[in-house]
Amino acid sequence: MKKLILVLSTFFLGIAVNYTSASAAGHITVSINPQSIQANMGDKITYVGTITNNADMAVDNIISYISLANVTLGKEAPMDLEDWSANKAIKIDTIPPHGTYEGKWPMRLINSGGYVAYITVVNKEDITPISSAMSYLEIKRVIRLNPNNVLPVAIGEPALIGGVFMFIAFKRKKG
Amino acid sequence: MKAQYIIQKEIRESILTPKGFLWYVFTSVILSILSYFFLTNNELSLLDQSQMLYMIMNFITVLGVLMGLVLGADVFAGEIERGTLEALFLSPVTKIEIAAGKLGAAMVNWWIIFAISLPYLFIVGKGGQNLLRGILYLGILGTLLSLTFSAFSMGLSARTKSMKNSLIISFFIFLLAGSPVFLSAALRMTWFGKILDLVNPFADAINTFDSVVIDSQGFSFQIERIAIICGYTFLSLWFLRRGASRLEI
Repeated sequence: MKKLILVLSTFFLGIAVNYTSASAAGHITVSINPQSIQANMGDKITYVGTITNNADMAVDNIISYISLANVTLGKEAPMDLEDWSANKAIKIDTIPPHGTYEGKWPMRLINSGGYVAYITVVNKEDITPISSAMSYLEIKRVIRLNPNNVLPVAIGEPALIGGVFMFIAFKRKKG
Repeated sequence: MKAQYIIQKEIRESILTPKGFLWYVFTSVILSILSYFFLTNNELSLLDQSQMLYMIMNFITVLGVLMGLVLGADVFAGEIERGTLEALFLSPVTKIEIAAGKLGAAMVNWWIIFAISLPYLFIVGKGGQNLLRGILYLGILGTLLSLTFSAFSMGLSARTKSMKNSLIISFFIFLLAGSPVFLSAALRMTWFGKILDLVNPFADAINTFDSVVIDSQGFSFQIERIAIICGYTFLSLWFLRRGASRLEI
């Protein structure tokens, strides 16, 4: 009898855990927009993440963040978004039942190549984080040789000060 | 007026010499390389103008403080080691006037560095926000920091009477003061980082630059930090005055 109770308890517990996991994974969805971008280095873009609560209950205290990975052949690597001036993780206090939350991640494109961006939502009630589909980002290289007219100053000022230095040295030697 | 004579003498002997002027050539070359890379390097050139301006301002401040420390360390200890302090004491100038004159020359050195940096600041900050306010704050806080560290180094030089010792201690203090630069943003948010940031005049200056140039915050946000820097300036001047007045050969 004890064995039967134990087997049944384990069986029902297994069903309950499975049900919780399935429902948790299913009640939040996340999407990323735009789904692909082509831009130049230096451009500013904004990714919009839409997080939808499909459940009949509100979800509280969830965290959402964007990830960016370089997928250029031979340069595959996750990117440190601090360099790209993107927002850090967003904490969402609550999303009402069947409600949505729209998060924005502005980004400055600092290097060329092919990238993928995706948004992840972490809810402590769920077992697994939920990620959006990947948005493809193609950044074209831009080369600037004399921005802000830097060359005349960068070459001219050391030359001018060097000239004064030579004059002082010459005068001292002569004196 | 006698202090003015000492300033002129120091400028002639320390600044308007080939060795002394070489520092400014190097300063200019380093600033040229730095600003060229800021504006043309793939990743650096895409930083915000204000971020670039802030980084150049930090660099100029570090350079000014460092040169002030080296010049200060040489002031009394160097004269003693070269055997020229006795002759200076025989002239009708008080010890305080000698110290004031030498400190004045250290300040002239800072103002030359500041003047050299102006074209670079304009080029790097062109088109960005808070350029003129940034330059104004760099002029004021750079002057206060140079005054503080030069006076401290000179006071130390008068006390230790050894250029080697005063340089080592000054560099140690400089590294301690510059430690916020080596701390990560996360570490600076801890209680240790926050206390270090507040009591450290160097950190107060770079946080003020950050607040003015990047965050566009007004003067009311800067008062506390500027007051702390002024406090250190008075403390260093007092340290120098005490050290110089007690100096015996």
